[in-house]
Amino acid sequence: MNDERKDGAMINPEGAREFLTFTLGDEEYGIDILKVQEIRGYDAVTRIANAPAFIKGVINMRGVIVPILDMRLKFNLGQVEYNEFTVVIILNVADRVVGIVVDGVSDVIALKREQIRPAPEFGALMDTAYIDGLTTLDDRMVIMVDIEKLITSGEMGLVEQARIDMA
Amino acid sequence: MTIDMSRFYQVFFDEAGEHLAAMEALLLELDVDAPDLETLNAIFRAAHSIKGGAGTFGFLDMAQLTHVLETLLDRLRKQETRPTVEMIDAFLGACDVLKAQLAAHQEGAEYADPQIAEVSARLESLSEIAATPASPAPRPPSPALPGTAATASIWLIEFRPDAIDFQSGANLHALRDVLAEMGSVEWLSEGDAEVCVWRIKTWFGKEEILETFAFVCDPERISITANTDVSPASLANADDRDGDPGFGFFAGAPGSERALDPVETDSDEELGFGFFAGAPGSEQALDQDLDGFGLFGGSPGMEQVAAVANQGRAEQEQGYGFFDLAPGTPRIADGNAAPSAESTVERPSPTSGLGAPGPGAAPKRPAVADTSIRVSVEKVDQLINLVGELVITHAMLAESASDLDPVMYERIFGGLSNLERNSRDLQQAVMSIRMLPISFVFNRFPRVVRDIAANLGKKVTLKLIGEDTELDKGLIERLADPLNHLVRNSIDHGIEQPERRREAGKSETGEITLRASHRGGSILVEVRDDGAGLDREKLLAKAAQQGIPMPENPSDKEVWQLIFHAGFSTAERVTDISGRGVGMDVVRRNIEAMNGRVEIDSQAGHGTHIAIRLPLTLAILDGLSVRMGEEIFILPLTAIQESLQPTRDQFKTVAGRGRVAHVNGDYLPLVVLREVFHLDGQPPRHEDGILVIVDTSEGLAALLVDELVAQHQVVIKSLETNYRKVDGVSGATIMGDGRVALILDVDALVRLNRKNS
Repeated sequence: MNDERKDGAMINPEGAREFLTFTLGDEEYGIDILKVQEIRGYDAVTRIANAPAFIKGVINMRGVIVPILDMRLKFNLGQVEYNEFTVVIILNVADRVVGIVVDGVSDVIALKREQIRPAPEFGALMDTAYIDGLTTLDDRMVIMVDIEKLITSGEMGLVEQARIDMA
Repeated sequence: MTIDMSRFYQVFFDEAGEHLAAMEALLLELDVDAPDLETLNAIFRAAHSIKGGAGTFGFLDMAQLTHVLETLLDRLRKQETRPTVEMIDAFLGACDVLKAQLAAHQEGAEYADPQIAEVSARLESLSEIAATPASPAPRPPSPALPGTAATASIWLIEFRPDAIDFQSGANLHALRDVLAEMGSVEWLSEGDAEVCVWRIKTWFGKEEILETFAFVCDPERISITANTDVSPASLANADDRDGDPGFGFFAGAPGSERALDPVETDSDEELGFGFFAGAPGSEQALDQDLDGFGLFGGSPGMEQVAAVANQGRAEQEQGYGFFDLAPGTPRIADGNAAPSAESTVERPSPTSGLGAPGPGAAPKRPAVADTSIRVSVEKVDQLINLVGELVITHAMLAESASDLDPVMYERIFGGLSNLERNSRDLQQAVMSIRMLPISFVFNRFPRVVRDIAANLGKKVTLKLIGEDTELDKGLIERLADPLNHLVRNSIDHGIEQPERRREAGKSETGEITLRASHRGGSILVEVRDDGAGLDREKLLAKAAQQGIPMPENPSDKEVWQLIFHAGFSTAERVTDISGRGVGMDVVRRNIEAMNGRVEIDSQAGHGTHIAIRLPLTLAILDGLSVRMGEEIFILPLTAIQESLQPTRDQFKTVAGRGRVAHVNGDYLPLVVLREVFHLDGQPPRHEDGILVIVDTSEGLAALLVDELVAQHQVVIKSLETNYRKVDGVSGATIMGDGRVALILDVDALVRLNRKNS
């Protein structure tokens, strides 16, 4: 899966790949931009009964039923508001379309492989298993996330376990 | 040959598959007591076409089996013997083996199964039995291919041994062995003679013999002539340089050369038929006993013969058939030939009318191919999805526009209504792409019924009605298993043994009717038998024995529903067909998974009637939207029995078993949707809501919702595409305002409710 992601990544002339960064609480995360389908506002979510709180429900995105996950709830980031500035990143991972709610989208950055340092065991919001590495951007630390691994993990409860084993 | 034959394999697979299907259908249609020659001919042609194709493409196993098959069929066709039930069974068995072989070749494997030998042995023995009384000719010396004696002929082969290229490892003995495979070989000359003279008796033609020699020497140095010992007819044949030993004689008529050519071209090893005689000067030929082949009379008609023969070739009608063409010419045939002449004039048209892709259908096929295309189901589904979006988009537009003043914005409203009409039409047109006639499922049943009935010693006829009724391809595929079950049950449990039927004053032959029809927005598929019907007492006794709770004095409907219980079977013995008690519950579950329903009606002594009601398509659902707080849910209309405004005293609590609603004298389990789904908000009082009585797999249940909104046709979307299965919900849909609404699964809701309470 990892290989496929790297092969598919957009490589610009300097051999760098592009990442979308977003903020969750005080931390900044980066994800492979090729996994991002679009960014949109938050509206008209239909609740799904008996689902965990961080699964907000499903929306109709041009005829496709897309589940919306609130990462802020998932990682317990205090108060959560939904207003016209709430941003949903629509991801296309593992043949699925999934939307995640984050605090804000900040930038698109190009990084070379060597700019990404391996992540030590540390206490980020996410389990280190989903973290590819760290990079520094204008003195800020950006955590590189393997978003596909995270979304399809059993922790998210999005995908039936059998499918994860198969993948 | 360097042509890559594999390119054409697919064509062969397709055609052979069609021929097999046609053959099976025709075999089932064949009435053993009064066989229709046209049908026999069509079967023969189907077998023959398969053989031809298989031989061409080098699928020798198939060619061998069809050859044996064809041999016996040929006898039937020529009325040398009468078809028997055993023969039909053997033919059907051979069809099965051929299908398996075809499938194996399609996967690039070789089908190796002892069944092949068994089936062909069966056919051979049948064909031997058939041959004995009818064939006037001696048995052929080769046991490998019986039944061909009548058409074998004798050839004299002369050659100089030194012409043979012994460098290539050949020797005379080896050569003889090769020839021996074609027939019996006799050495008329001494082994060391300068000129070898062999006599071979074979059903192969001169061409084949020459081919055999071609491996070892120059064919020009071999002389092959028909043995003068045999009838002059053969001589004529030999002179014609024809590959047809013993048939296809065009004696002496002016213009007969022309008649001959077309037939000869494609009838290399045809068994078969037909002596064109009767031209002036051909009395000699007429005088011969022609072993039961028809005679072609009609000197003035030789051109016509040529024309017909030409046509025959065009149709790939390979040289059989007895043309008794000449108008006004008395039939010139001896007693032997007379019956054959009955089968004359094999114009292909009547058989192709039967749907047999006999040779007659061959030239038509390209035309069909031109007007239809194969498209993957995925593409069609995508189209259906997109059209669904269009309909939804229209609904959204219409909703936005509803705030506008209709007078000021007349053109917008006009455009919207046009858009609506067009998108509905488009939706229907696209939906129809997925529609297939139900005959795709029904067509398998003649065979199923026949096999099972024979197995059980019952007499059953099957009636199919409404085979053209179209429904969604997805439904058709999923309908096959349940229907199969129902039909098997009907034969096994419904139809009685012939004796018992007679005692009951019914005809010995039971009848099963499969009927499909459109009923409003749904499809009704019925399985009806005129058997014994369900036994109320037996069912009740069994229910008591298994501890299934039944109300006192249950209605017939309630009793019939018992057979849908898992593990319920009243069959006295378990057969390999049914009686294990799995089945009916599976049938019901399968049908319900398609949003369909099963109903049973039965009358003791008169039979059982099972009706399956299915939606036209899996993609659209008739539903009732219900509101709970802010959320809208869709209830499938098929599940809803009634809805009512409850009063406070209708809600009761039963200790330990949750709450029930007292409706029409029954206590129904109460499912409060708000609680099952843990919806937020202050729940309104029960009596302010609406009770919807739904029919679930566990009986009726009362569903409490806040409000009924409207009835819709909704496009079903899967939640699992991007999310996962949600308990109590079968799918989702998009409402006119663009929001997603979940479609409720009442069976799951009842289960969920029980778990919660």
